[in-house]
Amino acid sequence: MIDCPREADVFEAVAFGRWPAQAPRELQAHVAGCPVCRDVAVVAPAMQGDRRQLMRAAEPPTAAIVWWRATIRARAEAAHTAMRPMTMWQAVAGTCVAAVAAAIVAGVWRAGIAGAAAADLLARLAISRAPAPLAGFGVEQAMLVLAGVVACIVLAPVALYFALADE
Amino acid sequence: MRDVALSALDRLDGDAADADAAFQMDEGAFRIFYDRTARPVWAYLARMTGDPRLADDLLQEAYYRFLRARVDHDNEAHQRNYLFRIATNLVRDVRRRPRAEAASIADVPRAADAADPRTADVADAAALRVDLARAMQRLSPRERDLLWLAYAQGSSHDEIAAALGLKTSSIKMLLFRARRRLAALLREVNW
Repeated sequence: MIDCPREADVFEAVAFGRWPAQAPRELQAHVAGCPVCRDVAVVAPAMQGDRRQLMRAAEPPTAAIVWWRATIRARAEAAHTAMRPMTMWQAVAGTCVAAVAAAIVAGVWRAGIAGAAAADLLARLAISRAPAPLAGFGVEQAMLVLAGVVACIVLAPVALYFALADE
Repeated sequence: MRDVALSALDRLDGDAADADAAFQMDEGAFRIFYDRTARPVWAYLARMTGDPRLADDLLQEAYYRFLRARVDHDNEAHQRNYLFRIATNLVRDVRRRPRAEAASIADVPRAADAADPRTADVADAAALRVDLARAMQRLSPRERDLLWLAYAQGSSHDEIAAALGLKTSSIKMLLFRARRRLAALLREVNW
């Protein structure tokens, strides 16, 4: 047996402070012979007493304070939500600026190498008419471009992560 | 996307009437509801977490989530059940977190015991409460929730099921086991 039809009667007597002294004798006799109601008669007074004491000790803030805090927080969350797409676009713009800067640096570097290579070529042609060592230049240029692309691919998510880290 | 977000901000960036629009009830209705439910919810949070200060924080959080939830409530009982469900979820979240140093709930009732005219012996009452707290700690979190809602809060099986997210049909058996365990633990300390 996991329940008893008199369980509610026992709980009611406890909740209204009638148990055990003011409870009907018939109910007391039932509880004495019913294991379910006996457990209720042990557990319910303990829980009711605990709740009563806790509620008496409770000092919750006033409704006005809770409402005010909730209002402030709702506004802050709305502001945060409004700022979120701006922050994301700022991160994208930052990444683009970084990519352009990297491309310019790579271009300047490449121009320096190309200038040096051209001067070297002219000097070699003038002296011995031997073929210039340009075979490796194309690979080097491709490596630079590849390095720039990889840097952008790595930088973009990192920049996005730091931009959105507070969320 | 930004327009939508900014319109939400605009909606909230005004006086109290704007806040009413963001919440599921106006301030007047909230005050009435809060005054009826705050103490029982605080008592539940305090007993389930064992920390009155944490209960204060969770109380605020529970009402905030309640206000922000766009749920149609048939009546106040439904609202109350929904609030207890939020509180139950908050307590579960707390249980999952590593426990920081907390104020003991045992400190709370002593002052209350002294003010309780029905308590003949303050020391005995405090001891009984400590016994209950210890016995409750030996139960599973779900058993504690069940017993509190059933025997402290006086909730029906339907209400308990709604608050804990369980099937009503399973409440009877779960409650029976929890009650039997707690009764046995309390008898061990001569309740």
